[in-house]
Amino acid sequence: MKNSNTQNLRLGIFVILGITIFVLAVYFIGNRQNLFGDNSIIISVFKDVSGLQRGNNVRFAGVNVGTVKDIQIINDTSIAVSMRVDERTMNLIRKNSLATISSDGLVGSMVVNLLPGENNSGLAPPVKFGDTIASISKIATADMLTTLNTTNENAALLTADLLKITNSINKGEGTLGALIKDEEMAGNFKKSIEGLRQTTQNVSAMVNRINAIINEVSYKESVAGVLLSDTTAAKQIEGIITNLEISALQISNMTTNLEQVSYDIRKGEGTLDYLLNDPGAVDKLDATLENIAKATKKFDESMEALQHNILLRRYFEKQARIKQREEAKPDE
Amino acid sequence: MTRNFPMVANLSSFFTETGALARFAGRFFKELVSPPIEFREFLRQCYQMGNKSLLLVAVTGFILGLVFTLQSRPTLEEFGASSWIPNMISISIVREIGPVIIALICAGRIGSSIGAELGSMKVTEQIDAMEVSGTNPFKFLVVTRILAATLMLPLLILFGDFVALIGSAIVENVKGQVSFTLYFNQVFEALAFSDLLPATAKSFFFGFAIGLVGCFKGYNSSKGTAGVGRASNSAVVYTSMLLFIIDFIAVFLTDLIYG
Repeated sequence: MKNSNTQNLRLGIFVILGITIFVLAVYFIGNRQNLFGDNSIIISVFKDVSGLQRGNNVRFAGVNVGTVKDIQIINDTSIAVSMRVDERTMNLIRKNSLATISSDGLVGSMVVNLLPGENNSGLAPPVKFGDTIASISKIATADMLTTLNTTNENAALLTADLLKITNSINKGEGTLGALIKDEEMAGNFKKSIEGLRQTTQNVSAMVNRINAIINEVSYKESVAGVLLSDTTAAKQIEGIITNLEISALQISNMTTNLEQVSYDIRKGEGTLDYLLNDPGAVDKLDATLENIAKATKKFDESMEALQHNILLRRYFEKQARIKQREEAKPDE
Repeated sequence: MTRNFPMVANLSSFFTETGALARFAGRFFKELVSPPIEFREFLRQCYQMGNKSLLLVAVTGFILGLVFTLQSRPTLEEFGASSWIPNMISISIVREIGPVIIALICAGRIGSSIGAELGSMKVTEQIDAMEVSGTNPFKFLVVTRILAATLMLPLLILFGDFVALIGSAIVENVKGQVSFTLYFNQVFEALAFSDLLPATAKSFFFGFAIGLVGCFKGYNSSKGTAGVGRASNSAVVYTSMLLFIIDFIAVFLTDLIYG
């Protein structure tokens, strides 16, 4: 009896252990699929679900927050995907959030990614049970293959054209063909290159000479150096240029005046015009000068007579002595 | 006529035996629902089949997980997919390898023991004596054993799967620096009810097959002590074959339901 009881105890432990393993496995698997706990439902309508299945993960910002509950075909372009999402994350998912289907790794199963919506019009309210959020479709593999197919077709056309061009070139047709096939042109081209090389050498030598000249310029002492490097000189030159401008303005004014004068002269106005333009005036002037010479001579004679006059002789002698004294002074 | 065509003879005996097995199964269900129930004997058989097989199943399961992971690792590493090891191993073990390997081990241990025990009782006419004494030998010997095998095998398989995953986790922990938490997270990430439930359901059928064939072969054994050995041997052989047939049907049905 005792033996039987021990057996029963052991059996009981074994059975409980086995059932516990089963229940735990069911719980963990169910928990992964969000079957237990508070859940809510969000719906999104896609054009193509790319092989999404029930039970695939739903991710929000890379965190698993739920699973795909159901996939229903509404019509040929609309497939409604119901997602079972953890209630605790519902207040984080906004009504303007976007759902997108992508692959979990290169060979992984498909997942629904919930992306935060554009925040243009302020913060949208959180989603509620049964809300439908917008979806965006990323480029599917099929689309990529279609694009690749078009690219291939274009590449085929391009290569066909390229073949024609290379054939023409080989035959020496066209400019490019001539360039490659024509020996005369090649000779000319060679000569041109030779000439170009010579020119380049000359230019190089010239540049060297210019460099040497530039190097010889003493920046501290030469005029060019001072002009190029001295800021004080630059300011002075600036002042000079300003003065020159003023002078030029004044010269301009003077020229205008001179023009006016010459104009007046030409028009016969004023004394100078009379002197320059009247031929009689010269004769009169000549006669006047002669008269003056005569008068001067007579005045000299009169003055000579005056010096000998008894009344004025003493004055003149006094003057002569003062003059003599002044001339003697510097000799001392 | 059958003497001239051995193949026809074999085929004929196969169908005859299948028919007898079906009748035996029918009788089991009939006896199962009719009182009284030999509960004490049933518990004793549960202990004999369940607890006594536990060590064998644990060692087999542990080595299974260990070896399976060690063997898969280099190939998966070559593809840069070593992070998929927990997913792959868990699905393989829970869905298929665990139930089948542990059922085969149990077929060897439980099936042969039932066959030998009932066979020896049959040839020593103990069963006849029971009938004479007024005890229903079918109810006492067969029903309890088949029922115990049917109920114990799922538990043994669950236990074996769990130990196999622990073995696999140890390898991953040592070789791939994957923590036990991460390993079991990935395991339960990969597993779905479609993996666990059909596997558990088919393990009931595995247990039923082991008990049924073992009892059938032992209960119908004849020709003295040589018959006991034959009964024991053929119980294991037939059970093993039947396990694969059941497995095929189970996978086929699972694919239809969850496909």
